[in-house]
Amino acid sequence: MRRDQVLAAVAALVGLALIVVGVIYLAFDEHSIPSFFPGHSSHPSSHHHAKHGIAAILLGLACLAFAWFRTGPRQRAGASA
Amino acid sequence: MLVFAANGGHHAITYFQAIVIGLLQGVTELFPISSLGHAVILPKLFGWNLNQKEPYYLAFLVATHLATAIVLFLFFLREWVRILRGLGRSLRDRQIAPDDADARLAWLLVVGTIPAGLIGLLFEHQLRSLFANPTAAAAFLMVNGLILFAAERLRRRAPGAPERAQLLARSDESPTGPEAEKRLATLGYGEAVAVGTAQAAALFPGISRSGVTMGGALFVGLTHEDAARYAFLLATPIIGAAALLKLPDLFGPDGNGVRGPALAGALCAGLAAWASVNFLMRYFETNRLTPFAWYCLLAGFGALLVFVL
Repeated sequence: MRRDQVLAAVAALVGLALIVVGVIYLAFDEHSIPSFFPGHSSHPSSHHHAKHGIAAILLGLACLAFAWFRTGPRQRAGASA
Repeated sequence: MLVFAANGGHHAITYFQAIVIGLLQGVTELFPISSLGHAVILPKLFGWNLNQKEPYYLAFLVATHLATAIVLFLFFLREWVRILRGLGRSLRDRQIAPDDADARLAWLLVVGTIPAGLIGLLFEHQLRSLFANPTAAAAFLMVNGLILFAAERLRRRAPGAPERAQLLARSDESPTGPEAEKRLATLGYGEAVAVGTAQAAALFPGISRSGVTMGGALFVGLTHEDAARYAFLLATPIIGAAALLKLPDLFGPDGNGVRGPALAGALCAGLAAWASVNFLMRYFETNRLTPFAWYCLLAGFGALLVFVL
């Protein structure tokens, strides 16, 4: 696997992971999110970290866009030349 | 005068205040003189008892910001249609064709918006809590004036900026249309990220989003007119997204009793924004940021004297 492809695959995986993280932030309150997530609260609460969720989804989409272009025709042509 | 009381009558905002704040928002959001700074300073100078950290006031501001974003989008509608088509083409082809200025401009706006959007999402509340007081806003307004002076002083000083300025001077001078987008699309992605990130400085009340964005665009070699167009295009998604994100506040309990004045304020903000963007796009064909720099410096100094003495 070429370096370009590895980079694209890593970006795609990170992008998907960030989108999952964003959905968890949006779907669960701060008490129910995993304890290693920033913003986790050990006390019962109904507060959702919506901004964290949106930020994670935005970053995830940016990573996916990077991976999408990284594997585009120009990149492939450049790599095979 | 129609008066309405929100939150059980503890806080009041009149239709007159809503109209004044709406007009103020529409003008100051687009002029490089900081809308947030003026929204903090002027009510205090007028002696209005508006607590700007209260949810009802923030819900009111959502409407005025949304109106400003809609007006900006409509003013540059033809540009946005071309930009969105370019974005679609690049996603379909999985590449940005070298001659596709629309696609390149679309991605320049995306990479410019992400950092400011993230910083705003994560730190807006903390910064607003820390600095949303009239004295700090007056001081930051003076800083904004210095930034605008510096932007004029340091025009075309970035690496590659003089070459770009020479290139652009030979190109079609058409103020709108595809030629204008080609000029904006000469920016590099690093420059777009830097200019976009500078928008985050507008989280400090008194620092102008359009001012720092235009300053950054001048620094990398764009003309005043193109810098203004780029600043307005860059501001549209972030102002719109921030307003849409908080729209539920307006329609939730925080917006109870605020919606009437918010509608009046939004209409005034929209009208003022339309007049402002019309004026500024013509103004920057031949003029500079310097008068706004002087205004910020003097208004900030004057307000600071009033608040401190």
